[in-house]
Amino acid sequence: MESWRKHPLVFWVFALPGTFWLFVFFLAPLAFIWLMSLGEKRGIVDIDITWTLANYARAFEPVYVKIIWKSVWISALVTLLCLLIAYPVAFAIAFARPRWKPWMLLGVILPFWINMLVRTYALIAVFRTRGYVNFGLEWLYNALWLDKLFGPFEPFTLLYNNFAVVAGIVYVYMPFMVLPLYASIEKLDRSYLEASLDLGASQARTFWKVTWPLTMPGVVSGIILVFIPALGSFLIPDLLGGTNAQMIGNVIARQFKSANDWPFGAALSFLLMYATFGALAIRALMAGRKSSMEV
Amino acid sequence: MTQQAREVFWLTRIMRIRSGPLEYSRRLWLRLVVAATFLLLYAPIITLMVFSFNNSRRNVVWRGFTWKYYEKAWNNDGLFEAFTNSLTIAFVSTLLSTIIGAMVAVMLWRFRFPGKAAYEGLMALPIVVPEICMGVAMMVFFARIGWPADLPWPLNLSAITIAHIAFSFPFVAIVVRARLAGFNRELEEASHDLGASEWQTFWNVVFPYMKPGLIGGALLAFTLSLDDFVITFFTSGPNTVTFPVKVYSMVRFSVTPEVNAASTVLVLITVVMTAIAMRFNKPQDSA
Amino acid sequence: MDNNQKKAIMASKTRKEEEGSLPMRAKRSFRPTRRNFLTGTGAAIAAISFGPAVSFGAEEKKLNFYNWDTYIGETTLADFKKATGISVKMDLFADNDELLAKLKNGNPGYDVIVPTNDYVERMIKAGMLMELDHAKIPNFKYLEKRFQDAKFDPGRKYSITYMWGTIGVGYRPSKVKETPDSWKYLYDSDEYAGKIALLAEAGTVIGCALQYLGYSFNSTSAEEIAKAADLIIRNKKNIKTFAADNGQDLLASGEVDLTQEWNGDILQVMEEDKDIGFVVPKEGALLWQDCLCIPKGAPHPDNAHAFINFMNEPEIAANNALYIQYATPNAAAKALIAKMKDGKDYLENPAIFPPAAVMAKLEEAVYLGEARAKLIQDAWTKIQAA
Repeated sequence: MESWRKHPLVFWVFALPGTFWLFVFFLAPLAFIWLMSLGEKRGIVDIDITWTLANYARAFEPVYVKIIWKSVWISALVTLLCLLIAYPVAFAIAFARPRWKPWMLLGVILPFWINMLVRTYALIAVFRTRGYVNFGLEWLYNALWLDKLFGPFEPFTLLYNNFAVVAGIVYVYMPFMVLPLYASIEKLDRSYLEASLDLGASQARTFWKVTWPLTMPGVVSGIILVFIPALGSFLIPDLLGGTNAQMIGNVIARQFKSANDWPFGAALSFLLMYATFGALAIRALMAGRKSSMEV
Repeated sequence: MTQQAREVFWLTRIMRIRSGPLEYSRRLWLRLVVAATFLLLYAPIITLMVFSFNNSRRNVVWRGFTWKYYEKAWNNDGLFEAFTNSLTIAFVSTLLSTIIGAMVAVMLWRFRFPGKAAYEGLMALPIVVPEICMGVAMMVFFARIGWPADLPWPLNLSAITIAHIAFSFPFVAIVVRARLAGFNRELEEASHDLGASEWQTFWNVVFPYMKPGLIGGALLAFTLSLDDFVITFFTSGPNTVTFPVKVYSMVRFSVTPEVNAASTVLVLITVVMTAIAMRFNKPQDSA
Repeated sequence: MDNNQKKAIMASKTRKEEEGSLPMRAKRSFRPTRRNFLTGTGAAIAAISFGPAVSFGAEEKKLNFYNWDTYIGETTLADFKKATGISVKMDLFADNDELLAKLKNGNPGYDVIVPTNDYVERMIKAGMLMELDHAKIPNFKYLEKRFQDAKFDPGRKYSITYMWGTIGVGYRPSKVKETPDSWKYLYDSDEYAGKIALLAEAGTVIGCALQYLGYSFNSTSAEEIAKAADLIIRNKKNIKTFAADNGQDLLASGEVDLTQEWNGDILQVMEEDKDIGFVVPKEGALLWQDCLCIPKGAPHPDNAHAFINFMNEPEIAANNALYIQYATPNAAAKALIAKMKDGKDYLENPAIFPPAAVMAKLEEAVYLGEARAKLIQDAWTKIQAA
């Protein structure tokens, strides 16, 4: 890493487009919303900026704290599951024959190109009481003569509970985990692995001592890419969740839609942002100077 | 060492030789995990495709084969227009956000500058912001600055495209940067030492190394744009409906096979386009 | 009766009315938002791109219609184009809140919208609707007397009823012991535990609970609303989900046996599945009216008036209502349907036109101010988080 002063022209050429876009088309719109979070609703449409903190104070009522905690918990679980599933998949793709690689990558991303709503509805068809998972299990159950032993098959309730929400979010955000993992596994210097194995380390030891630390950048990217959108998700809990599935995203969405309370919705989303921003800042500080990593 | 142990030892040696220590793709368990994952990913989608031929308005029970929903989807002007809009937006947004994102990644990877941690934090914001908040922010923003909504096609898609670029390019930056993190800087120095200019070094040394990251990032950006519902929903007007927004309004009541049919076509187009792209751009083994 | 023939007659009639091109209405004073700016720029750009073909005062032959899904006849828009030359672009919204959210910050270009009565009132209060010019909607006279005025829009200055209906319980007769003619089965009983879906609309779910407890759907008492919320929280263990307007699908797929739903939605699944019934609970339920309105800032107000008038042509209204299976407020259309061979199926269907005894118990939702809206939303958050 070099100081920007060494090549100021190169620095500016590379820095300008992104910075411009970020400030004009992202931070400026957010500033509007931020002002709104310090405002009060007047009537149905108008919002006055009164520099009040009441909206933020309201977010710390127990009802909302409970929902926030639950959202964090669900997102963490989703992220862990995604990592557990995506790592082997990314690994397999990275080590697959070159001819197969692009097709396997495409295979991971393809489902992603189908509209999320349609996929969620497709999940419903698979998961519901008279859905294909239950049909399959029933067939298996009857084939094993279990119905003669324990009575007829009782379909599982797979929809409208927290299981469905977790499964749905994992299903939707999985590619976010596979792609950065793949990118960092793919660029692993294979000779390190060979060296480790040649020196007598087992496959498991090689993985934990060499592969895992070297792919850490991809893991961290993946976690960030999955955890954050999961935290803000609202369509999936809405469609797949039961009566207890509400996440903080649903509360925010409702403020902007039915509750028609934009200042409070703005305050809630800004709380979410402050929290994540804080975490990222701490991480960046901790990584300190030697940090050559992203975000 | 007992006879048995020796046999096991050699057998494993032979197997290693046969499959090679690094040919993980040949490991059975890994293959099983991959197969199971792909099954999970595809089972619902295949269900969806099959039910696009279902002769029933609701995709609950099979009521016989029909093409009629393809016909209906084809003749549905609104759906067709939404489809075109989505592809146009995704294409422009992918192109620009890949360029912008890659530049940011290179800049962050290469340079040290005051306030870098804060800058990186800001760059991560579009990823952090809850979609709905960003959607509303964009809506309010374009309303307040008086962005014209009545421009002729495709300029009327500009607001949505701008919003899409705003949330996709940081994703591209992350992916490209993860790739660059493993780049051996000595190669760059060697290039300089051999008399290459700044630009030549970038184009001939750094860029080829970045390529997998760029492709990954571009795919991600395309996907994000094509799939985005929430932000588009808030920025779109009557003449700028995209496919997800259209589908959303159609499925809110129930998924008709018409939507399934359109989605099936979208998947097929994607596969064919990718196949063509790959044919023209044979993947070279990098790194 | 030969529908096509009649349609053609109607079409030519409407065309004649349309040909005397209506002069542009004097611009109303808008709030100083981007609407002014946008309409201005829009007009300027339209003028540039269409050149001299568009003379000042006439509107381009286009209309942007923002409607609910499955809520218009199959050929209605094509008929309108045939009759007037105006091509309609229909865009769909999923619920009233979405409609409000979309228009709140300035009309992005819609000419005709279809809000429900309490939202009509809310939008009138927010100054979001354009006053209708009744001189351009002569077909208003065909509406039943009771729809020619409304509490939520005195003198019907801003809205004209499109369809009306109720909310009730959709159920599977083969799975219930007796007709679930009370909210008790959904709100206060273990009998169908895990087989119940309620709507995901705060106002409706809490409103029906209020009715079950003997209060008004429109209660403003914090205490009564809290009681209703407690009732729902207590019964939450038995409720499978708050359905995002897909209760009819849950019912059709066997996921639930009882669902709180809009009558027309249940009627639509009945066509495919005979083992589905609909009943309005004896404690009373919601009576709603969806209305055609023109939002302020509409780029084609003249076309919008022509469209609203066209939708009230008896012939058009009749075909439309028969197709979407909702109750039409149009008396002349009902008279036409009565003459049809199987018109009875529609007119005498108690799920479409509830009998007088049921009608007496129905309540209309009233817009009661933002404070009450907040009360309901807070109760809803509590219910969801419990």
